[in-house]
Amino acid sequence: MLKLHYNLEKISMGLVAAIILAASVGGIVEIAPLFTIDETVELPDDLRPHTPLELAGREIYIREGCYACHSQMVRSLADELDRYGPYSLASESAYDHPMLWGSKRTGPDLARLGEKYSDAWHVAHLINPRDVVPASIMPSYPWLTRSLDTELLSPSLATLARLGVPYDEAMIAAADADAAAQSRPDSDAMDGFIERYGERPAARDFDGDPSRLTEMDAVVAYLQSLGTLTDAPYQILTEGGQ
Amino acid sequence: MSNTTDPKELPGADPKTGERAIDPVSGYDTTGHDWGGITELNTAFPKIVIWALIVTHVYAVIAWILLPAWPTGNSYTPGLLGLDQGEQAIEGYQNLTDNRQNWMSRFESAEFDALQSDDALMALAMPAASRLFADNCAACHGTNGEGGPGFPALTDNAWLWSGDPEEIALTLHHGINTEDPDTRYAEMPAFDWMDRSERASLAQFVADLPDGSVDFESPAGILFTENCSSCHGEAGEGGLEIGAPSLTDTSVIYGQDVDTVMATLKQGRMGVMPAWSGRLSDAEINLLTVYVARLGDDAGDPQ
Amino acid sequence: MTASLTVAERRIGLLISILLALMGLVMAAAAGHGVMSLHGFMALALGLGLAFILGGSLYEAEAPADRLSRYYDAPTRFGISMTLIWAMIGMAVGVWVAALLYWPEGTPAWPATSFGRLRPVHTTGIIFGFGGNALIATSFHVLQRTSRARLADSVSPWAVLIGYNLFCVWAVTGYMLGSTQSKEYAEAEWYADIWLVVIWVTYFVLYLRTLARRNEPHIYVANWYYLAFILVVAMLHIVNNLALPVQWTSAESFPIWAGVQDAMVQWWYGHNAVAFFLTSGFLGMLYYFLPVRSGRPIWSYRLSIVSFWGIVFFYIWVGSHHLHYTALPFWAQTLGMTFSIMLLVPSWASAGNAIATLNGAWHKVRDDATLRFMFVAAVFYGLSTFEGSFLAIRPVNSLSHYTDWTVGHVHSGTLGWVAMIVFGAIYTIVPQLSGKTDMASATAVEWHFWLAVSGTLIYVISMWNAGITQGLMWRAYEENGALSYSFVESVEAMAPYYLLRTIGGGLFLAGAVICAWNCRVTMRRAVGHATDRPLVAQPAE
Ligand code: HEC
Ligand code: HEC
Ligand code: HEC
Ligand code: HEM
Ligand code: HEM
Ligand SMILES: [Ca+2]
Ligand SMILES: [Ca+2]
Ligand SMILES: [Cu+2]
Repeated sequence: MLKLHYNLEKISMGLVAAIILAASVGGIVEIAPLFTIDETVELPDDLRPHTPLELAGREIYIREGCYACHSQMVRSLADELDRYGPYSLASESAYDHPMLWGSKRTGPDLARLGEKYSDAWHVAHLINPRDVVPASIMPSYPWLTRSLDTELLSPSLATLARLGVPYDEAMIAAADADAAAQSRPDSDAMDGFIERYGERPAARDFDGDPSRLTEMDAVVAYLQSLGTLTDAPYQILTEGGQ
Repeated sequence: MSNTTDPKELPGADPKTGERAIDPVSGYDTTGHDWGGITELNTAFPKIVIWALIVTHVYAVIAWILLPAWPTGNSYTPGLLGLDQGEQAIEGYQNLTDNRQNWMSRFESAEFDALQSDDALMALAMPAASRLFADNCAACHGTNGEGGPGFPALTDNAWLWSGDPEEIALTLHHGINTEDPDTRYAEMPAFDWMDRSERASLAQFVADLPDGSVDFESPAGILFTENCSSCHGEAGEGGLEIGAPSLTDTSVIYGQDVDTVMATLKQGRMGVMPAWSGRLSDAEINLLTVYVARLGDDAGDPQ
Repeated sequence: MTASLTVAERRIGLLISILLALMGLVMAAAAGHGVMSLHGFMALALGLGLAFILGGSLYEAEAPADRLSRYYDAPTRFGISMTLIWAMIGMAVGVWVAALLYWPEGTPAWPATSFGRLRPVHTTGIIFGFGGNALIATSFHVLQRTSRARLADSVSPWAVLIGYNLFCVWAVTGYMLGSTQSKEYAEAEWYADIWLVVIWVTYFVLYLRTLARRNEPHIYVANWYYLAFILVVAMLHIVNNLALPVQWTSAESFPIWAGVQDAMVQWWYGHNAVAFFLTSGFLGMLYYFLPVRSGRPIWSYRLSIVSFWGIVFFYIWVGSHHLHYTALPFWAQTLGMTFSIMLLVPSWASAGNAIATLNGAWHKVRDDATLRFMFVAAVFYGLSTFEGSFLAIRPVNSLSHYTDWTVGHVHSGTLGWVAMIVFGAIYTIVPQLSGKTDMASATAVEWHFWLAVSGTLIYVISMWNAGITQGLMWRAYEENGALSYSFVESVEAMAPYYLLRTIGGGLFLAGAVICAWNCRVTMRRAVGHATDRPLVAQPAE
């Protein structure tokens, strides 16, 4: 053995090959089966992808680095079930490129946040968290009241569709209109939105200013959608509870 | 460049014996290499490292036998213990709830008076309610239920709907202005069709209501009677249990200064109180109901 | 830079600079607006600036003819300067983000300086800016000395260092302007990722070509580690960053991985960024500078072999310990946990090997702050790897995950191990490159040492307390079976620890600033080269 190594040390390409080999095994064994073992991700029938407005909000969530303080992954531990709700399933983030499970909880987990608070609360909280939670150390985001840039929405949906997220041609083509419609439920464009995304996504004027489509509309729409894309985790909890 | 592994030919080695320099500190010989002055000792492999390798590998093998571990193409080795982390979590959660069931189950009934008069139960339950309130309600209603701009105080015994526990529980279950089919509905309409000057006089009128220095026969007073009394009461005293607040007391949601009232009139209001059925259990909702009812009672009558 | 190049090399450099400027122009024009266009302009400006310098020096005196009989140290000197600059940037931003968690209003109401955008500026600035420059700069030094060969080429070292720093600047300015992929430690967008691949390949080729010229039959351990660092980081970087740009003309992209697979790929990358960036490369540094400074032979060659291959093989398996109890399948978590335990043995073997190497030189450790930096680094390396293996045990992780305990562990590794070994290496290399035997101020080194040690201890101990408190509060139950604390109460409980951490970080930063000053003064007084092991005559280039 020692002698073998003694010789290996003299051949740089040998060392290179040995390193590549030794450092590849673990990754292959752990990653490849996640694609081949069926029970890893069991897509529920009712799982929906994000609407264009929610997707825009997700991009802002990423841009602002909210994931640095908030996890979106309720672990399968009794106290987390107690505090946050059903533990997160792999299927819930099956359409998430990238996933936002997070690794730090400076703030609370957000996986079950949807519809926990009102839109108005979110707006107030994001503009200045200390207005509503005096002890908060979360940053203020007053600039979210600026207009939402929808230029990249259609190409974003198209890109995600290529990666396997179920957006169809019509959704891609109407992405801008659908984003506006979701924040203006009284408008005519709403019919098309419902046709494409159904009745489930919350359609409201999220930021309280119907005249404008803002980044705030998008972020709040996204936050209100968290944990509502499928009912599966709730069902598992009630079934397990019997 | 020499490619030999013969110790005698190695650099630094004695060409006859193959022995190399001995390090005076450790007593070991060196490997014979010298990289810019760096040498290496030929120290024997320490036993403790071998033992450590054995121990950690044994630990790993035992874990692989007991727990789910190795992927096998389209499945994996389940492990002798047959553990599933989801099931374990639900079981743990069940144990937790079982543990508090002896007192929590009392709250499954909505006999609020009976619950409230049981002092022992209250002593046990109120701290739990307080934590539940802090994690779910305090964001809007304040740490101690004192409210905030846009969110009513729950401590002042001035109720939009009612301080009656049954009614509070209903609000908690279904919320106000939510998507819940049984939600309470309370809309303050926008009076944007009114002249700005009329709105301004009304706003002044409403701002003056709490100190009673208003004249209901004045033009503003007439405007009030015609447009507002149906919801807020003849004299603005509220209490009609349709979600329209009293405008004569000092408790406010949004604010009763002229500017805020102007805004209220211009855009209307439709505050949302989330529905908690589904997120909280019935017992937890009843527990919070008692907590909220007591918050109000502690305050006595509204000023 | 130019004085060390021949006219022919300056021409090549000029050509590359013009290509860089053209690439920048194309990027800026194609993107039209936004971050990518700004980054295009940065590349354009850098390319033009370099072209200007190189073009202007085309007819100046050539590099001395005997240059091939000396080691090529100019790039190392530049790399060390960049290391120190990034140290100050990265640590200052670290102190800033630490302060923000105590004082959330302590930042202008300007999106670019909000916590969530500054945090990756800190991590990238410090890991890639500070750590990466230190690794590249010292690798050039170590590679040449242990091969007794000059770098195989004179232009590519500059291309590697300058190109690498362009990547770092693109990354951190991108985050501040809101351009990020959100993948921890890989946040930079797709075009920066591709750029890094180009740089890395250049680096690898340079490394191998120089190694091929070595005049020692054997490759020294330090080079094994540097090689592992270069190779595996390339592999991790490429796989984790695979993404589809939304358009070729805009910065946004979507990673091809989703959900649970993305999580596994991310932490396979993330953990091994720790292993092969923050550990393997720095072990290379340790394996060179520790024996050089202490004048002692490496304690055990056999142990070096076992720890090297143990680290390379085991580390790759353990990424899933970042995902305990999550939606990642249990089996993968078990593998992550068990391999983390097995990994402890090679980790401690290398820490032990380093400490045992100091046998016979303890008096030097006492007297020489530089050697003390390396000793403390080895101790913290042992400490943080032990802690890491401990945190990887599922039940322990159920408490520590998501809390500041992780942050404490991170900084016992990064402040105690990574930064200390870098400072040890810098204090060894800077006088040598300046033709001196010592740093300009020995007192300053001593001050730096104590600032760094006390800063680290304050930081790490306060975060251990913070994290354990947090974890216990989240899961504390009353006797009646109800949760004891609301989340916000746990936030409030962190305040004193966050304040302490800021102070500890401030001390550490102060030490780094002193170091930068000391290095600058030393380099300014440079008098050619120190005595060095002679180079073996080189073939003409
Ligand atoms: C510096 C860390 C930090 C960052 C960055 C941060 N938050 Fe928070 N967040 C907190 C803390 C601490 C709390 C708990 C106190 C509070 O409610 O404000 C919180 C609470 C919240 C809550 C309430 C959750 C609940 O269940 O009570 C929401 C929603 C939220 N944050 C959203 C966001 C969004 C969206 C962003 C990015 C735009 C963000 N946060 C960025 C620290 C942060
Ligand atoms: C998103 C913010 C929000 C949260 C969280 C919230 N509330 Fe409310 N709540 C409101 C608003 C707004 C109203 C008043 C609705 C209106 O304006 O008509 C209200 C009204 C109420 C009322 C009726 C008060 C009355 O005078 O009749 C009660 C009782 C109440 N909340 C209790 C709770 C409890 C208990 C919780 C926690 C389980 C809670 N709320 C959580 C926003 C909230
Ligand atoms: C259809 C019923 C209705 C009518 C008519 C109505 N209100 Fe209201 N008003 C409400 C409700 C319900 C609320 C509470 C809204 C909320 O909490 O979101 C409210 C809230 C208010 C508030 C805010 C109180 C606070 O505490 O901040 C003011 C001020 C007010 N009304 C004034 C008026 C005036 C002046 C008029 C007449 C021009 C009027 N309202 C007519 C139902 C009505
Ligand atoms: C002046 C010294 C430093 C200070 C004050 C500091 C401060 C911080 C702070 C406040 C955070 C964010 C923690 C959170 O989100 O809760 C952080 C994260 C981090 N820092 Fe530092 N830091 C310093 C030095 C370093 C160094 C030298 C390195 C690496 C070489 C480093 C690497 C990291 C990493 C990897 C993270 C991310 C940790 C995680 O995601 O869990 N830091 N630092
Ligand atoms: C045997 C060696 C080590 C093991 C087994 C190990 C294990 C771990 C574990 C279990 C975590 C916590 C994951 C979580 O709960 O989120 C972690 C986080 C981390 N460790 Fe280590 N660690 C080791 C050595 C090191 C060293 C030497 C460093 C730094 C130089 C380091 C840097 C980090 C960083 C940066 C993180 C934070 C990742 C993040 O969440 O962003 N680790 N490590
Ligand atoms: Ca709007
Ligand atoms: Ca990237
Ligand atoms: Cu790790």
